[in-house]
Amino acid sequence: MSTEFIWQLPTSGDGRYGNAKKQRRGERASSAHPYSEGVTDPRGRAFNYFDYLHQVARAADLAGFDGIRIPEDPLGDEPWIVAGYVAQASRRLKLLTEFEASRGSSVYAAKNAVTFQRYTQERFAWQISVGPSAAQRAALGDSVEDADLLARIEEFVTVARGVIGSSPSPFSFKGRFFEVANGGFQGPLANHKAPEVYLSGESEEALRLSARFADIHVFDAAPAEDLARRVGTLRSFAAQAGRTIGVGLRVDVVARESEKEAVFDARRFAEQSSSQWAGRDVPVGKNLWEGLSKDSAGAAATLVGSYQQVAQALLEYAAAGTQSFLLSAVPHFEESYRLGEFVLPLIRSQDTHRRVA
Amino acid sequence: MAIDFFWRIPTHGEPSSHRSRTPYRGDWPPGDNAQRKPGLAGGGADGFSYVEYLTQIAQAAEISGFQGGLIPSFPMTDEPWVISAFLARDTKTFRFMIPFQPGFLSPVTAARMTASLQRATGGRALYNVIPGGGGPQQLWWGDPVAHDDRYGRTTEFLDVLRGIWKGGPFTYRGRFYQIEDAGLPFPLTEEEYPEIYFSGSSDAALASASKHADFYLSWLEPFDQLRDKFDRVKQRTAALGRKIKCAVRVDVVARPTEEEAWDEVRTGFDRIDKATLERFNSRGGSESVGAARQSRNRPATVTSYKDLIIEPNVWSGFGLLRGGQTNGIVGSYDQVAQRLDQLVELGADAFILASTPHLEEAYRVGEEVLPLVRGHVTTPALRAVG
Repeated sequence: MSTEFIWQLPTSGDGRYGNAKKQRRGERASSAHPYSEGVTDPRGRAFNYFDYLHQVARAADLAGFDGIRIPEDPLGDEPWIVAGYVAQASRRLKLLTEFEASRGSSVYAAKNAVTFQRYTQERFAWQISVGPSAAQRAALGDSVEDADLLARIEEFVTVARGVIGSSPSPFSFKGRFFEVANGGFQGPLANHKAPEVYLSGESEEALRLSARFADIHVFDAAPAEDLARRVGTLRSFAAQAGRTIGVGLRVDVVARESEKEAVFDARRFAEQSSSQWAGRDVPVGKNLWEGLSKDSAGAAATLVGSYQQVAQALLEYAAAGTQSFLLSAVPHFEESYRLGEFVLPLIRSQDTHRRVA
Repeated sequence: MAIDFFWRIPTHGEPSSHRSRTPYRGDWPPGDNAQRKPGLAGGGADGFSYVEYLTQIAQAAEISGFQGGLIPSFPMTDEPWVISAFLARDTKTFRFMIPFQPGFLSPVTAARMTASLQRATGGRALYNVIPGGGGPQQLWWGDPVAHDDRYGRTTEFLDVLRGIWKGGPFTYRGRFYQIEDAGLPFPLTEEEYPEIYFSGSSDAALASASKHADFYLSWLEPFDQLRDKFDRVKQRTAALGRKIKCAVRVDVVARPTEEEAWDEVRTGFDRIDKATLERFNSRGGSESVGAARQSRNRPATVTSYKDLIIEPNVWSGFGLLRGGQTNGIVGSYDQVAQRLDQLVELGADAFILASTPHLEEAYRVGEEVLPLVRGHVTTPALRAVG
């Protein structure tokens, strides 16, 4: 596959550099008048955060991203509804929708996916994550053991692919978590592309599952040499399974005209957003800061640097095998334009992996 | 209270009239598993998909005075949550009635999806809860729970949904669902709990409906039979200290004159092929009690459209013309409105109407029939101010 750049929709709120407090743009948190009584507010309750999410998706499309990731955040809006809501705002974007295999019937999920494929000219994709801790899963009504999480994902995908790709013969399956008899879609729902499956995880079990099963395995941000090593492991597992697999990388960015500006903004953001972060502004790799935006945009580490430095770092990740970049930056709307204007062109002009369109 | 009228979104595709199955709008003429027509023109790939036509219907319905519409969900149709989310920004007042069975989603997922859809639409989501049609089809959906258990599960499902809606923490230990300290996050908690229309005709269904439903939804049945059914639902619900309203899902063919309306039906009936009619005459096989109740009052063998007139202005052959439920009202605008008012008298407080083609007929029914329905208002004077 060619290299893809996927932006992110901040489904539980967004911040800004200079005021890192998470907020839902366009949405009143309370019924109180948001300004001094001396200033009018024409919005009333006409808008909420969905209007902002719609804008971010449109921005990502206009700024030249290839897709948008719609993360599953238990404190935010539900990703499948968000995906449908923003789908019409975008013409090209892959809609990479994150969820957990605990959400319900995998047949129903497959049906939902086929409708998305029909309505978006096959732009829908799945990122299936293992989800939160056992205690938090209990609050989702999910009693599956930690040890079974990957096995459940495997069954979920097996059933979904089975019913989507079943035509003309029916698909039946009886597993530990999912069951279907004579399943499969007909008429206009037949013969659609199953959503691409993105999986993640750093354990050997997770890598082996992806190697057998995933279209893309998404790694957490780490220094390029560490990533290269893990990509090597993943590929050897895939080779054992007789297949090839795409590599994704989830990383946040603070890109500015100069490194100095980027570092200044990153430090201020850290001070405003996390009390535990103080004193950790020592890069773990070249231009790579760990944990800076974990609680906001969500990646394990953040590239902080000039446009050239960030582009260079991304190119090194590409050289280490990355084809799918899952990027984000706060605030997601403005920063999608910034990256589209200043960083992506630097990469695309040099990236030999990318097919010339 | 005033009567709510909903329309229907033809997720099952649609012919351009009751008279004939072709030409076909949308992309799946029944029986044709291969054909796919992205739009209306020509059938080639044109960048449009069926949702664009559905959007037109939803807009026609809201412009014409309908509350919103039912978005039917069957094995061969698109998925109603996706349709609702897609239509959110293209509609203003249209309310999305989403049918679902508890086996499709976990209750926590369903709650979050619903709250997010309420946020995306300004509170325009509501449910048509279907405990389950049953039979082998249930496993097609990936749902292994048996028919009678599905009602117990439905009750538990709605217990959990209601329990976490305002944020919790909510703990529940049921037969089907166990959940610890759950709750929706702010600001999803600020949304209205969706109205619930509940379908299902068996005793197990009625027991479940009595606890959680705002509306008990039935297909059109012979009027006397329907009166008994609504009375029974209301008695059961009253015994639980709750009130429930009733609603009827019914097809209509309304024309300026009765003759024109029956002409439409006769033309459609006369064009049905023999095999379809034979299948109709020997129908059976579902666990659905509602399907069996609808076919009462019908002769064993049907040879003319007139055999399917089961009482004045009620025709029992819509399933032949377009598939799905089968009883509908046929008549002049006045007659259709009068029959709807009779249904109000015997207990209906809301309707889901449908007619083919759903786009043009939304305008026709909205413009010609709805203004003639009196509802509970009995005197012209009251009507003028109400």
